[in-house]
Amino acid sequence: MLKTLRRMLKMHRIFIAQDLKKMMEYKIDFLTGAISFLLGQVFNIAFLWIIFSQIPALQGWSYDEIIFIYGFSLLPKAIDHLFCDNLWMIGYSIVAKGEFDKYLTRPVNPLFTVIVEKFQVDALGELIVGVALIASVIGKVSIHWSVLNVILFLLVIPFATLIYTGVKIITSAIAFWTKRSGQITHVVYAVNDFAKYPTTIYNEFIKTVITYIIPFSFTAFYPASYFLTGENPLFNIGLTVVMSMAIMAVSVLVWNKGVAAYESAGS
Amino acid sequence: MSKFLKMYTPFTRAGIQMSMAYRFNFFCFLLGEIFKCFIMFFVWQAVFASSDSETFMGFSMVDMTVYLFITFLAGYLTYSEGTYAVGEEIRDGSIAMRMIKPVSFDMTFLFQELGNKIMVTLVVLVPICVGVELYKYFVTGSFMFNLLTFTMFLFSVVIAYLISFYFNVCYGFMAFFLKNLWGANILKEVIVDFLSGATIPLAFMPQLMRDILTFMPFSSLSYTPVMIYMGMYSIEKSLGLIALQLFWLAAFWLLSKAIWRAAVKRLAVQGG
Amino acid sequence: MIQVDNITKQFKKVVKQPGIIGSVKSLFNPKSEIITAVDNVSFDVQEGEVLGFIGPNGAGKSTVIKMLTGILTPTSGKCTINGKIPQKDRKNYVKEIGVVFGQRTQLWWDLPLVETYSVLKEIYEVPDAQFKKRMDFLNEVLDLQAFIKSPVRTLSLGQRMRADIAASLLHSPKVLFLDEPTIGLDVVVKDNIRKAIAKINNEEKTTVILTTHDLSDIELLCKRIVMIDKGKNVFDGNLSELKSKYGQMRELCFETDNIEDVKSKLQYASRFNATSDDVIVNNDGANVSVKFNSDKIAVADILGYTLQEVHITDINVKDADVEEIIRRLYKEGVTENE
Repeated sequence: MLKTLRRMLKMHRIFIAQDLKKMMEYKIDFLTGAISFLLGQVFNIAFLWIIFSQIPALQGWSYDEIIFIYGFSLLPKAIDHLFCDNLWMIGYSIVAKGEFDKYLTRPVNPLFTVIVEKFQVDALGELIVGVALIASVIGKVSIHWSVLNVILFLLVIPFATLIYTGVKIITSAIAFWTKRSGQITHVVYAVNDFAKYPTTIYNEFIKTVITYIIPFSFTAFYPASYFLTGENPLFNIGLTVVMSMAIMAVSVLVWNKGVAAYESAGS
Repeated sequence: MSKFLKMYTPFTRAGIQMSMAYRFNFFCFLLGEIFKCFIMFFVWQAVFASSDSETFMGFSMVDMTVYLFITFLAGYLTYSEGTYAVGEEIRDGSIAMRMIKPVSFDMTFLFQELGNKIMVTLVVLVPICVGVELYKYFVTGSFMFNLLTFTMFLFSVVIAYLISFYFNVCYGFMAFFLKNLWGANILKEVIVDFLSGATIPLAFMPQLMRDILTFMPFSSLSYTPVMIYMGMYSIEKSLGLIALQLFWLAAFWLLSKAIWRAAVKRLAVQGG
Repeated sequence: MIQVDNITKQFKKVVKQPGIIGSVKSLFNPKSEIITAVDNVSFDVQEGEVLGFIGPNGAGKSTVIKMLTGILTPTSGKCTINGKIPQKDRKNYVKEIGVVFGQRTQLWWDLPLVETYSVLKEIYEVPDAQFKKRMDFLNEVLDLQAFIKSPVRTLSLGQRMRADIAASLLHSPKVLFLDEPTIGLDVVVKDNIRKAIAKINNEEKTTVILTTHDLSDIELLCKRIVMIDKGKNVFDGNLSELKSKYGQMRELCFETDNIEDVKSKLQYASRFNATSDDVIVNNDGANVSVKFNSDKIAVADILGYTLQEVHITDINVKDADVEEIIRRLYKEGVTENE
């Protein structure tokens, strides 16, 4: 088991090195993209700033707290984007073009191989912005950084990340039945935008969807609100872990069923 | 005139057919974009709920909602893929073929996009406008639809699309100088998005920004038509801004022709 | 080494109903039809054999290969390779096989070749020492040194094919599946690849299943052939059998403005002392086709005779090719393999 892990990490390293090299080759293009992304984030923050220039708090949340939630939301999204970006290709082209066959002729888990092949370097920008935003308000928000809380913070991020991964796996796996599911993945993924803001601002229907059905609320608002208020750890943190595990379990099930049902596209 | 139309309407037909063929993709994308609208709606609802006043920098909640959805609509109507089209043709060299054919490059592409815009009008404009007017009626109790304002809006938004088209074509010519257009494209989208008022109404921005922006064409892309729709301008001001739009349209149109002519000369000298 | 017992593969295909009403109907009452891609195919392959697997496009060859490699599961029947059933315990099974799909690469587009092999080394758990030996061997047989540092996307088709073959052999598999490995390649490259396959089969006794459209591939590499048409096994035997039975039939096609002359003046059977099996004449208006046994009647002779007797406006002689052989095989309803 450990040996397999080591081999898999070695594989992953080669792909990471390759993608980093590619980034260096297209430096200007990469930098322009990075600057554009940064600019986009600046504009988003400007939006928040303008709002808060007129109101003291948004449904009880201060400017710094909203920034904290926003920055927090970028972390799991970025990590998933960094490692698992290749999953999009399953729904967009790999299955439809019959390119999935080769994954089945190798003695390694196809899901793992698909994920490991691409390392999306520009996601690092997202990650940095998220960390920077959190760092910028860390002194101004009332978070009690006990040892427990620090551990919980470090723990909850990977679980939140897995919610993104799980959702992508499920929607991508649909392609095994329908040949293409890229658009479905796109729409479901777009729901994560709701999670940037406090879930409490939405109506009941949306709240239910983003909490229990496509649980993106657990990638940002709920865990972040625990750190900000110290309230409801069982719901805010506990359920994040539970939802994350549930989604991953469902995703692996759906994926495996999909592979079994896979009838590769013509020759 | 009819010969002109005969030559180019097949492209529009092709555009409509393509839109029909990709309708699933179209709806999925539309759905994703509508999410963003609703997110903003709820955010603004929360903002107004957290505020003592009925207005935010001069906008009421109703105003804000109308602004959001009409901006969304304007975005769909003014979106143009001119940059990609031109960029691709330059990259794979097929732009040389365009030089030989007797059809005008931008016209063929424009008419093709018009096909798509027809679909957008039916599927997006009608529901959104109806929805917005119904919303206004239910919230304020009065039916506030003004035919003149709406007509001016339509006129303004068409010009806005044409500006967007020629602006995008000009930007696409950057492919002559850049290896990869990916980063530059994102930069353009982010900046244009912001400066055309898609995220924040331009009226909310600090005075300095607003002064700078009056000299830039971006407000003509989205902000002007939207504000006209909302009846925020007097008729004189509306017509004046439409004239400004026409000015920018002419500017980008001329610019695209100039770049094209220079490119043709360069290609003819250097070869494909 | 390989036993294929009555495997059948059926696909359920959704029938798209036209128009918008059709799309709505399909939502509530989807119609589907069953397509039998592979119908009761059986054959055996001995260890170290190079089997030629041929058939026209859409015959079901690739489907059979996909079942043998574990990508697809047979609807009925079973196949056993080296004592293992592909679909059961897939991960262990694929360690012993190598697969090359001619039309799609197995390699990673952006990785330099040398890195690709490093990744495969980890995937197949090839020990370091063995890896080095293997790479040297494959380098020599397939001549990879010249482009081993280049990314796969920059390789020519011939180079990529060689790289793919090397990739499929890195882990010293017992069975090698080659699906159209020479498609689209020029003659020189084809020859090199055939030599490489022959060498590997010779030295390592690797069992090879070679799917191809190219009769020369078969001639140079395979002693035995299985032919698939419309999902069925229509021939299983030696290459020489196939050639002697069907390969020598060629076709003389010509156009004439005087069809009456053809009927009266061309008496091939008596002129060449041939049986009705050896010469078959058909006409479709002004187009005449003469199928003849080129072993019994020389091309030059029949050509000369025809030109001499009848006024021709256009003429050509067709070669015997796999498609033709199969078409004839099937049309004549001859399934002599059983």
